[in-house]
Order: sequence, then structure tokens, then C-alpha cells
Amino acid sequence: MFFVTCVWRELRHRMRQAIFIALGLALGVGLVVTVAAASAGVTKAQAGVLGTLYGAATTVTVTGPKWQGPSTNPKGTLSPRFGPHGPEICVTGGKCTSAAGKTLSTNDTLTEGISVARVAAAARLPDVAAAAGGIFLNESSVSWPKNAASTARSGGIPRPGGRPPRGGPALPGGGRAGGYPLEGVDTGDPTLGPLGGASLISGRLFTAADAGAHVAVVDSTFAGSHRLRIGAVLPIVGPADAHGYAPAIKFTVIGVVRQAAGTNPPSVYVPLKAAQDLLWIQTGSPSLHGKVTSIYLAAASAADVPAVTQEITRLLPGTTVDSASNLATQVAGSVTSAVKLAHDLGRWLAVLVLVAAFAVASLLTMGAVTHRAVEFGTLKALGWRTRRIIAWVLGESLAVGLTGAAAGIALGYAGAAIIAAVTPSVSATVGLGDLLGGHSRLIGGSPVQTATVPLHLSVSAGLIALAVLLAVVGALLAGAFGSWRIARLRPACALSQVA
Amino acid sequence: MYQLSRVTKLYHKGRATVQAVNEVDLTIGDGDWLAIQGRTGHGKTTLLQLLGGLDHPTSGTIELDGQDITHMREAQVTRLRATSIGFVFQTFNLMQTLTAADNVEAALIPLRIGWAERRRRTAEALDSVGLSDRARHLPSELSGGQQQRVAIARALVKEPKVLLADEPTGNLDEDTREDIIALLERLWRERGLTMVLVTHETTVALRARRIAVMNKGRLAVRATGAAATSIGPVRSD
Repeated sequence: MFFVTCVWRELRHRMRQAIFIALGLALGVGLVVTVAAASAGVTKAQAGVLGTLYGAATTVTVTGPKWQGPSTNPKGTLSPRFGPHGPEICVTGGKCTSAAGKTLSTNDTLTEGISVARVAAAARLPDVAAAAGGIFLNESSVSWPKNAASTARSGGIPRPGGRPPRGGPALPGGGRAGGYPLEGVDTGDPTLGPLGGASLISGRLFTAADAGAHVAVVDSTFAGSHRLRIGAVLPIVGPADAHGYAPAIKFTVIGVVRQAAGTNPPSVYVPLKAAQDLLWIQTGSPSLHGKVTSIYLAAASAADVPAVTQEITRLLPGTTVDSASNLATQVAGSVTSAVKLAHDLGRWLAVLVLVAAFAVASLLTMGAVTHRAVEFGTLKALGWRTRRIIAWVLGESLAVGLTGAAAGIALGYAGAAIIAAVTPSVSATVGLGDLLGGHSRLIGGSPVQTATVPLHLSVSAGLIALAVLLAVVGALLAGAFGSWRIARLRPACALSQVA
Repeated sequence: MYQLSRVTKLYHKGRATVQAVNEVDLTIGDGDWLAIQGRTGHGKTTLLQLLGGLDHPTSGTIELDGQDITHMREAQVTRLRATSIGFVFQTFNLMQTLTAADNVEAALIPLRIGWAERRRRTAEALDSVGLSDRARHLPSELSGGQQQRVAIARALVKEPKVLLADEPTGNLDEDTREDIIALLERLWRERGLTMVLVTHETTVALRARRIAVMNKGRLAVRATGAAATSIGPVRSD
């Protein structure tokens, strides 16, 4: 009780100095709390972005190796070229015909397929909660007007029932190229993969009964530009016949979805089996019958992600395995800037302010000890041991530290609230090719996807404990410097300071 | 009580050396009251600090009740001060943030006495100096004489064997000076203390049983009043 009385009376006597030290500590601690809360918030937002982009449930994606097909087209393959008379379609080993007024549509992938048996094997891995296969295709078209110029450099084969592409980059001879990304979805578990992060606007999503059916779910932006509604028919080019013609397969639109502020998510989703049938070997892409181009996995828990990554790498050598953490490094946008700001500048600023606060506290405490030399010398004359006097000084420092901690936590909460009010959301952009493991042969447009997520800053119990610890350590450190001075103080010297 | 043998204290200031105490031999018996008189800067306070174990002599020995305090560990000397030696300072040296009672109680903390016992002894000590009604006052709320009374109470609350007073009336007016000296004399007689009082005032020194004079670090002792106690060699100025 006497000890508490001494500490309280002395702090009251030096109230201004104590408040100054406490405020300094509070500033440093408050900055640490704010930065940590912001860092946690943007990291969470980043994770939310990734979840939005490729499905909240997906934690690991596996993509097949790059297709190592023949360098030249096999005999009978149709390919465009620009001849002396304008755009043409030529049969490998055969004749060429004019492509004027015609449309060439293809769908392809540059990834070797992964057997569906491997999907089942991945699902049986010990740390995997669920696994689903997916197919990413690029539906692309080129078309030329009837008066295609002779200076055009490429051509196309007439496709019965083909639809001229909309927009797209111009080609020589007045041709236009276009396309859209298409995703084959496992209707047994549509939550895994890109469709898992989409919001249904109208119609319905796939059910298990849709496996293999010619039904499609379309992105809202694509639906708008192609004037598609529920029940509309969307022709998608199918596999080529022996003559190289690719009749369109008619898919019925059953649902329209929206990805969070996306600009180029997969435009069309079809059941996995239908996507396997769609691949046209005309351009030499591999057949995907009985195969998928990606596997989407959900780990049993966040802690199991590294183990799942290792297990799947062993199971499927040669594939590309991405988890949320390394995809996070590929995310761009304001969330990345926020993460860098919080981690780099914010962290160092907090450290600098804390160090400055500790230094000021130490200097002031040492100054106070010097000022109280006579007092401490008298106590030694009364028979007080040095450690008892040091305990008094450290007790004062501890009280100041706890006050600084409380104020710092309050400042941290305020800082987090201000940031949340000023920056209510962050955006993130990720390369769709990277996201889906390198299916990057879109014609026209960049393969990116952008999402906007709200920013929630929270101060956890662990963060509060850290704040208290920092303030207390800082204050005790300052007290330690003063205590060192006391330990070296000789009573006679201290008492003679008055004389 | 005290036996000093060829005690010397040197201070080194750069190249200069100050001989504060110069080969002092002194004996102070139990119950003795010795006044050490001399001009400012001639080593009176230094000698008092050596007697109280607040500093160590450069050479020589100081024995207190047969124990050589010059070669004791710091913790032992501190314990000795806590139990056996009381100090009174010229500037009172009270803790400005503690009340009169708290200041007195501070002297009992090293003795690890229970709270109730500390409070009882504190009240008795303040009562013995006539300040029971000022127990809850801060030093800033007390006069010079009252503050010195509190300091005396603090010095005596632990019932020491020795009281060392360094210019206890130096900061007081004449009337208050007389009160304080009278109080010290009364307490000395009542408790059988051994008291060593440093002063530059002859009127104060003459109240003591013996007077010693410090002159440039050298001590000369002469008897006054009652019969002289055994002393060491007398050194002239």
C-alpha cells in the first residue's frame, strides 16, 4: 500500500511529464494497432477478392501442363491465310478458297488435359475437402466482309450457321476478330471454380441433372452485349467433322450471373461434359474427352493448404499448382497498394514512432531520476536498498505504460475507424490467365478480372495484448535507464547536490 | 560506539586532489553527544557521511560497535543504516510528494514491519515531536521548523543507536533553532542516543557534551560541560 501511495503521489506530482510520456507511447502503440488492423483488413479483403474471382471455396487450383502438340497442322486441317486475292481458307495438303463474307469460329485450349480419374484421386487426398474439374476454352471468331481487300493477311472457312463476331481487333482486309472465355463447370460441385464466386441475377444455376446437357449460364455483361435472356439460344462452335466444318451446337441460356465488378470473367459457363465435346481440333488443340484442364480443390482448413499443395504436386507432376497465397502475389489494384502501404510504409512508420517514443520516455525518466537524486540519496540514507528504489521508479514507469497502452488502443480504434470511413472498399485485378493457370490464348482484350470488396478493419484481442505489451515494455525500458542511474548513485554524492 | 583510526578521505578533481578528511582519530562512546564545528568546506559533512556509511574513506578504519564498516558490503551497510543510524539533514530532505506521516513511515519500510505496527510507531514519533495534528500535511504545507521536526521523527522512529545531524538548524530562524536544539537535547537524554551534530554555530555546539573542531580536514577535540570521554590524539590547527 505504501508502495502504491509513493507511485501515485509521485506521478501526480509530475503529472505533466507522465502524461507527455504516456501520450508518446500511446501514439506509437496507436499507430501499431492501426497499421496492424489495416494490414489484417486489406489481407482479408485480398482473400475476399481471390474468393470472388475463382470461388470462395477454392483454395488450390491445378492446371495442366502446356500442350506440346505438333508444330505443323496435320493433313486435312483447315487454316486461314492471306493470299494474293485476299483472305483464304486452305486445307493442309489441299486447296484454298476465298474467305470473303465468311466467318471462322474456333475454340481451343493450350493446356494438356488432366484425366478425370485424377480429379477423383485428388479428391481422395487426406487434406482435401472437395475437388472438381473444370475446362477453360477460348471461343474465338474471325470474319471478313464480302468485299474483303486483297491486302488482308488472314482468312477463314465458311461455317454454316456461324455468327459474325462483334467488335474485336481489326484484321487486314477489313476482317474482325473476337471471342470470349468459356468455362466448363462440374455441375456436381459448382461452388468450386470461377462460378462459385458469382451472384445469380436471373434464372438458375446448374444442377447435377444438367451434366452433359446443352445449357449455359452467362455473365451479365456478355448477356447484355449479346442480348441474351433466359431461354435464348447461344450457338457455340462444336468439334469439326472430317471436312473441317464445325457446326454450331445450340446451348439454351438458363441463368445469368454477375461476378463482383468483373471486367472479363468467363463469359459463358457450360456443363463440363459439354465443354469436353466442344473442343475443335481444327487448330491442333488436344481433345479433351474424358479430361479437364483444371482441378479446383478445397483444403480441409487454411492450415492444410501447404500440405495439399505438396500432395497434389506429387500426384500430378508437370502441372501448375497455385494456392491463394501465391495467387495473392499476382493480384494488382488498390488492394495491393493498400497491402504494400500497410506492410511497408505503415510498419516502418509505426516502428519509428515507437522507437522515438521509447527514446523520449527514457530521456525524460533519466532526467527525472537526476532531478530526484537527493530524494533517492535520502532513501538510501534511511536504509532503503537500491532495488527497492528501482522498484518504485519501475512502478511509476509501469503505471505510465499502462496508461499509454489504454490511450494507444483507443487511438488505434479511432485510426482504424477513420481509415474504414475514408476507404470503404478496395479493388483488385488479377490476370485471368494466371488465375486459371495459363489458358491464355484469348483474341482481343486483356485476360484480367477486377473485383471490388469492402474494407473491414478489426482490432483483435491479440492486437490489444500486443499494444499493451509494447507500451509496458517501452515504459519499463525507460524506467530501466533511470534505474541504472539509481544503481550507480552514491548516497554521499546525491546528498551533496543540495549542499 | 565509534572508533575512527587514521581516517582519510580524498577527492580527485581532474589533476587536483582535495583532502576532505585528514588522518582523523576519534572515539565516540555510547550516549555521547559530540558537536563537530568548523568553517564551511573543512570536512565536517564528509566526516559525518563517513560515520553514517554513506561514503567510504580512502584510508583508515571506522568501527561501529566493534564492526568495521569501511570493509562491509553495501547491503550490510544499508542494513546498518536501516536499523541503527538516523540522519537529520540541513535541508530536511523530506519527500515532497508524501505527507508527514508517510515521510516518517518511509524510515520503517526497510525493517519489514507490518502495516499496523508501522502506523503505530509513526504516530508515536510524530507525537514525540509535537506534530500529531500535522500528520496528513505535505512538507510544502509545513513551516521550516515543522519540517525539521518531521525529519527528526523520521530519524528516530526506528529507535536507532546513533543520530547523525548535519546542520539541523542551518535553515531555521533563531527561535526555531532553539526549539529544534532543545528537542534534540530532550530526545538525546530520554533515549540515551549517541548523537553527532555538525554545526558552524558556536551557540549550538556549546549545548553538546563535547566539541570537536574540523580545520582543513583535521580534527581537534576539546571537552565541555560534563567530564571528557576518552579521545584520540589531539591535533592542533
